[in-house]
Amino acid sequence: MLELDDLARRYGDTVALDGLSMAIPAGEVVGFVGPNGAGKTTAMRIALGVLEPDRGEVRWRDQPVTRDVQRGFGYMPEERGLYPKMRVDRHLRYLAALHGRPPADAKRAAGRWIERLGLGERSEQRVEELSLGNQQRVQLAAALAHDPEVLILDEPFSGLDPIGAEVMSEVLFERAKAGAAVVFSSHQLELVERICERVSIVDDGRIVASGRVEELRTARSEPRLRVELEGASDGWLDGVPGARRAGGDGRAVLVELHGGADDQQLLDAARRAGRVVSFAPARPTLAELFREVVGR
Amino acid sequence: MTDRRATLLVARREASERLRQRSFQISTGVTLLIVAAVAVLGGVLGGGGPDRYQVGAHGAEAAAIAAAAQAAAPAFDARLEVRRYRDEASARAAVRDEEVDAVVLASGTVLMLDEPPTELERALQAGGRQVRAGRALRSEGLSAPEARRALDPPPLPVRALDSEGDEDERRGVAYTASLLLYLQLIVYGLWVATGVVEEKSSRVVEVLLATVRPRALLAGKVLGIGLLGLGQLLLIGVVGLGLALASGAIELDGTTLGTLAVVLVWFLFGYALYASLYATGGVLVSRQEDVQSSTTPLTVMLVVAYLLAFPTLDDPASGLARIASLVPFTAPIVMPTRLALGEASVPEAALSLALLAASVALIVPFAARIYDRAVLRMGKPVKLREAWRAAR
Repeated sequence: MLELDDLARRYGDTVALDGLSMAIPAGEVVGFVGPNGAGKTTAMRIALGVLEPDRGEVRWRDQPVTRDVQRGFGYMPEERGLYPKMRVDRHLRYLAALHGRPPADAKRAAGRWIERLGLGERSEQRVEELSLGNQQRVQLAAALAHDPEVLILDEPFSGLDPIGAEVMSEVLFERAKAGAAVVFSSHQLELVERICERVSIVDDGRIVASGRVEELRTARSEPRLRVELEGASDGWLDGVPGARRAGGDGRAVLVELHGGADDQQLLDAARRAGRVVSFAPARPTLAELFREVVGR
Repeated sequence: MTDRRATLLVARREASERLRQRSFQISTGVTLLIVAAVAVLGGVLGGGGPDRYQVGAHGAEAAAIAAAAQAAAPAFDARLEVRRYRDEASARAAVRDEEVDAVVLASGTVLMLDEPPTELERALQAGGRQVRAGRALRSEGLSAPEARRALDPPPLPVRALDSEGDEDERRGVAYTASLLLYLQLIVYGLWVATGVVEEKSSRVVEVLLATVRPRALLAGKVLGIGLLGLGQLLLIGVVGLGLALASGAIELDGTTLGTLAVVLVWFLFGYALYASLYATGGVLVSRQEDVQSSTTPLTVMLVVAYLLAFPTLDDPASGLARIASLVPFTAPIVMPTRLALGEASVPEAALSLALLAASVALIVPFAARIYDRAVLRMGKPVKLREAWRAAR
């Protein structure tokens, strides 16, 4: 388990992190979401040792991390970066060697990832000669070339085409299955919802919601139902105690039930008003949760 | 993995990636060509080296004359090689076939294809005079050693008031040393600066910093580029000296080799100083376009140091030259110039090197701190003072 504990960091007068804590269990993929400027990149940089926190601690397997431990982490920064003039194979070998792999090992690992990510024919080309999509693949290979136990990726899906995104999520799962702790940030909430078992939502430098995606979705205090009616007049909901319209589209209405209101009463009211086409609990999407906890 | 291993890995990449660059290979080749041209032309135009001639001889006395001429030739700035021929016909044929430049026949006649070069004729005439005068002296009753002593008195000692050695030759070497040092420091310094910015502008630095400490990254870059610069300088020095020797432009002695050693040592320290400063100039900006302006003060400083080499060449003992050879920013160019001219004392050189080393010891931690604080600051140029105060 990778733990970030009570991290704080300022840049001059700007507070980037204000007591952020989160945990990334080994063997899981955790999504890290939050508005721009919430502190995601700063938190990741501190986890990697690129930045020093003003306060707080990073732990891996219950031990405070040392530089040597952090050296074993894999990182994909938001701003992609590779030497434009270096050849793909040499570049990957170099980075694997910097991460402490012996030369023969580095060579094998570079070759393996080049094959795995479909870069076989490009391995002797300079990075700058590759398409952006292929550069992204090299960037991913660079993060993976030393088989890290911890994988930290800042916006790994941005700029990927659907096939690239598919490859990326496959690889993240693979690594998690192999026992790595994987965390990535993203603004694509549907994608996060699809891929991640866990999610942490950050705002203003602290975590505002965190846990299994399923639990977060069901743990809302006010249940909602999506009711689709035919031939109902607009005011049909008014007489139902505790029910409040929370949105809707076309014939469907999203109803929020307050104060332990009875969903059967709602159903009765609906049947009186018209023909019920569908009546189902509406669990919020991650995007809705996000809007709610971030509050804007 | 230790910082040292990381530093070495980074240094190896810096050197090997640059060695692979076509532009580096071409520029090294061009520099070598220029150095070779200067070295060879210096020999041909400067007339510094002795001319070589082949001289044939037929008959015992002719051979004696040729041998005496050979011995006398260096005084006329010529060098002779002597061949003997069995008969006159083959001796004559050798001249016609331009196998030799001249033959001395048994009769004492000197045979050439056309007008003889002055120094060759003078050498042969001197040889002839010596052999015939020797014979005359011996017929007057002097023994062979007495005759030789009479004919070959020790030369008059010549002492110049102005200088000890071949001044032109030394100036040539000194100027070349100052030019090479200037070029090497400015080129490799700028490489450090642009290399630092390349890592920032391509953002690869963040990937690197996740595994390498900033100081190790900086140290590796400076070390790798510096070793490449040292190797290139050594190559140019050895090739240049070799060709200049072969063409006779200079003569190899302790001074010349000493100068090469001095150039390499002062380059090493000068590079350490300037590379650290250039790294600072590079790390404060994020785009290649801004490197030029952020490193201008350093470039100006190097140009000044180079320009100071000229008054130094004119008067290496002047106050200006003395001061410039001690100030750490100009010493890497001016002190080797003075040393090449043979005009700096050992204590002066030691002081210059000590001051230079001390300033390196001061600048390196400064540069490392600035680098450390500014390397992840992207966007507009960072102010030096701001970088110094910033937290990591």
